[in-house]
Amino acid sequence: MTTIASTGSAVTTKKTFSRETAVSIDIQADKSIIWALLTNANDFPRWNSTVVSIDGNIALGEKIKLKSTLDPKREFKLKVKEFEADQRLVWGDAMGKRVYTLKSIGNNLTNFTMVEKIGGPLFPLFAKMIPPFDQSFEAYAADLKNEAETISSTK
Amino acid sequence: MTKEQFTSEFESARPHLKSYLLRITASIEDTEDLVQDTFIKASTKLDTFRAESTVKTWIFTIASNLTKDNLRAKKRWTENVTDICKAKALSNPNYFPEVMAINQTSQHGNFEIKEHITFCLTCISKSLPLEQQICILLKEVYEFKVAEIVEILQTSEAMVKYYLHTSRSKMVNVFEGRCALINKNGTCHQCSELNGIFNPKQDFEVEKNKIDFAKKANDPNREQLLDLRFQIMKEIDPFNSNGSDLQLHHIQHNRDVMENYSEKNEK
Repeated sequence: MTTIASTGSAVTTKKTFSRETAVSIDIQADKSIIWALLTNANDFPRWNSTVVSIDGNIALGEKIKLKSTLDPKREFKLKVKEFEADQRLVWGDAMGKRVYTLKSIGNNLTNFTMVEKIGGPLFPLFAKMIPPFDQSFEAYAADLKNEAETISSTK
Repeated sequence: MTKEQFTSEFESARPHLKSYLLRITASIEDTEDLVQDTFIKASTKLDTFRAESTVKTWIFTIASNLTKDNLRAKKRWTENVTDICKAKALSNPNYFPEVMAINQTSQHGNFEIKEHITFCLTCISKSLPLEQQICILLKEVYEFKVAEIVEILQTSEAMVKYYLHTSRSKMVNVFEGRCALINKNGTCHQCSELNGIFNPKQDFEVEKNKIDFAKKANDPNREQLLDLRFQIMKEIDPFNSNGSDLQLHHIQHNRDVMENYSEKNEK
């Protein structure tokens, strides 16, 4: 998996049979605030400009339906594959998976990393049809940082 | 703490506790039961009170736990609760004769816009997830600090902050879309409609402008408008106000309607 600097800038690594996009950012907020934002499906469109909707319950083994601004007409049916509270969340389908990781790195500071890897034997056939994720990933990370830090500053 | 000291503290907290429980449950009967159950439970656990919090916080902790148990199986209300309940009231031939009788015979039967705003805020807050509703009421109406709410809800500070922020954002959005007092395209005109029925001689525009947040309807700071709503709620005791009998009737009606509505939608 790609290791990247926590600058909020996305990095994409292309290979013949896969493509991986990653973004990492440091957020001045407790992990549980970020975790709450990442696991409350109905609330996503309020703070995340890249998500049109998420239907379902983000919990281990559950299926969710996600619509992204990258392709609002398409509904992704995803399964929550890993769910470690305040640490790691993975959802995906047969084509790929998205991994969210949270790490405490100091005084109320959390490192957030999001990586999506898509691929498979048929990947070269449809690779050109999949839009780049970089901009959307950067907006996602920036929105999450903004929302979590706003919540954290609540008196 | 002696039993007498506790009873005295409980009686001081009782009016706030009662109004809090009414706003969470929307039921007079459940409120009375929960107040009583809280008193009994706290009395029997008096030896476990360690004075690490105020007695009031401890009482609210017990009451909130009992309330969560009471409401856990019940569906939350929908954001359009006032539309649903209005339609039900209009289709019930007994509804208006009943409320007019309260209005004309009770000393606490006046219709006041401010009280209706409080009633509306209660109804909309019941569309929030329960933890969020509890948090926002404790903070904005009953003036508990975040650290005290952490104790009452037995959760983390981070989660309380998350609940507060999320519930505020949702309520701002709901009122923005619905409330004609702050948005001329708002879909809910219930205040003006009811004021026209109960106070036909009043000029609604004049009355409206006596309400801070309606007067500041064009203020881009929508969070502040929400705070002004909560300020009104803070100042009204739902069991002892000029229109408490009328508003209690409204709230019980909405509770009954929404319980049936939830049941029907579950089938």
